[in-house]
Amino acid sequence: MEPQNREQTTALSEEGSNGSDGKRNQPSSVLAPVEAPPRDRRKKPRIRETPPAPPPPPRLDGYEPLIGKAELDELRFLAQGLRGKTVKMVNSTAVGGGVAEILNRLVPLLSELEVATHWDVITGGNDFFEVTKAFHNALHGGAYQLTNDAREIFLLHNEQNRARMRFDEDVIILHDPQPAALIRSKTANHQRWIWRCHIDLSNPNPEVWGFLRPLVEQHDAAIFSSQAFARQLSIPQYLFYPCIDPLSEKNKQLDASFIQQVCDDFGIDRSRPILTQISRFDRLKDPLGVIQAYQLAKKYVDCQLVLAGGSATDDPEGTVVLAEVMEAAGDDPDIIVLNLPPWSGLEINALQSASTIIIQKSLKEGFGLTVTEALWKGKPTIGSAVGGIPNQVIHKLTGALVHSVEGCAYQIRYLLTHPEFAEQLGKNGREHVKENFLITSNVKRWLLLFQIMMGIARQ
Amino acid sequence: MSNKSSVAQMQREPSASRWAKTPFYFNSAEHLLRIERERANTLGELLGAIKTCTDASIFQHTFRTLQEHHFIQEGYSNDFAHWAFFACNENGLAERLSGVDVREFTSIQALRQRLIEILEEYLGQHPIVKDRRALEPFYFCASSSVVVPTAFVARNMAEFAEALERISMHCVHYHFIEARLRLKLNSNDFSMWLEEQMGLKRTAELINRIDIYTSTLQGVRNRIVRIVETALA
Repeated sequence: MEPQNREQTTALSEEGSNGSDGKRNQPSSVLAPVEAPPRDRRKKPRIRETPPAPPPPPRLDGYEPLIGKAELDELRFLAQGLRGKTVKMVNSTAVGGGVAEILNRLVPLLSELEVATHWDVITGGNDFFEVTKAFHNALHGGAYQLTNDAREIFLLHNEQNRARMRFDEDVIILHDPQPAALIRSKTANHQRWIWRCHIDLSNPNPEVWGFLRPLVEQHDAAIFSSQAFARQLSIPQYLFYPCIDPLSEKNKQLDASFIQQVCDDFGIDRSRPILTQISRFDRLKDPLGVIQAYQLAKKYVDCQLVLAGGSATDDPEGTVVLAEVMEAAGDDPDIIVLNLPPWSGLEINALQSASTIIIQKSLKEGFGLTVTEALWKGKPTIGSAVGGIPNQVIHKLTGALVHSVEGCAYQIRYLLTHPEFAEQLGKNGREHVKENFLITSNVKRWLLLFQIMMGIARQ
Repeated sequence: MSNKSSVAQMQREPSASRWAKTPFYFNSAEHLLRIERERANTLGELLGAIKTCTDASIFQHTFRTLQEHHFIQEGYSNDFAHWAFFACNENGLAERLSGVDVREFTSIQALRQRLIEILEEYLGQHPIVKDRRALEPFYFCASSSVVVPTAFVARNMAEFAEALERISMHCVHYHFIEARLRLKLNSNDFSMWLEEQMGLKRTAELINRIDIYTSTLQGVRNRIVRIVETALA
């Protein structure tokens, strides 16, 4: 798929795409707006048109340069106590979606630590997944009338999966609502069952939650991604922050030449400040608010805005929002709108790495892993105070929290004119991610939880 | 240079080269966060919840805040202070809560009592803010801690100094900050071992006096290493 871009009116200028050391990205000339560059600077798209083969999962040793040997040794020690124990993860899809992405990394790492971990995916027909999608939206607070048919379809498919699956492991983890009724296989033995909820349950549809809650409370524990997403339950609840893999395409250290090449191809001028928001074209991500903030800030500081989002081909609303964004961008050559396919991890990484400031001005958000990615890259980050963003962006310490277009515009101006402060925010942000939001922290939380649930831990 | 060496000689304590009868075993602690039932929407509710929450909650929102944000040297030093400022806009209260130095407390009960006193005094002086709704709730969490041995063992000062440079930040926090809850003393594991096993009383005191609130935990580690290396020189 070809990235969207402005109409070409002039030939590409290579003057703006110089140097690969990133030094020209310093906001040294931000105080006075400069003359607008040529209307379109893009040379050619570099996005692959088909998904590449997935890279092999990283080995544990690969993380040592990033987190240190002592941290890895602690993981190995925690795993030692679990040797011989077995774990099963169950979710509803093997590819696509955040849960599958995490399990694709987590399961090999646990297995490398010799905690035998099996991953099963439940099956179901279209009717089942239509019901579970409706449940998902309803649990996020959407209106929904729960019918007997929906209940029966949900339970029937869970029963069919239960009949075909075995549950011999020491710990069984069911991810999200789809497989929740597998809990009926729980027997009164040493086995521990855990429900891992990846969605925001702070304001669920009462009917759907009323239906699921008795199933959830049969587990031995539940896990949520934020304190704010949890419900009052009769079972212990744990907090597992979502995480990123620092060795994935989206987060690994890139060659400076590749970053430069991507910027050249997309017509991004690295000699001037670059503001970036990475998110799909969705009103809840407020791309129009980001454009307004950029326009307000640009009265005082020179900058470009990159809005890079996911493919909108299967999302009618996404197509509408993308059109609105293009209209709002008008003929400003410094607003670069990129509609990228889902396998653009390397390009997204390059765009983030080249950015001077990264923005996530969502009106509503889950945890906001794009913020985690930005912080990990040491970028000064401006985020809305919604969802899980305040867990990551601590105002004036690891980033800037905002509540409005005007606040976002002010923070853009402030950070561009105070580069030392911006740099310190970036450093703190990276440390915050290193401490709390990497896959290695996630592995550690699982090991701790297994130890605690099985009574192995020395507390 | 020679002057500095002579000062170091004078400051050097005589037992720096001895072998410990009991080695120092470096441990670490890993923590799993539990989401607790209590939550507060007002400062009045925060006070009520601090009175009734578990010790593990008080530990999480004070001692553990320092560990989770060990790379930051500014800002409020515990979650209650942070919330009082950012969600309640009560800067005066935030400053007072932030002034609570966890290293002055050898029990969670005493720390809890101090937090209660500060909140009661402030709300007594400013009753109007007691029931004012915060921008966002305070969610109480608690810490389930698991002790993790490390491979590092020190039988003399050289081994001690080397290990200090290689252990994780969690290990530093465990021995230097959390330790007083275990020891029930205004000290830490490093100082206790240096004094009891190495006879380095002055070195132990210097380490115990390091200010943890004006530096990152890495900065604290660096200062400990420098003090130990001076004793070793």
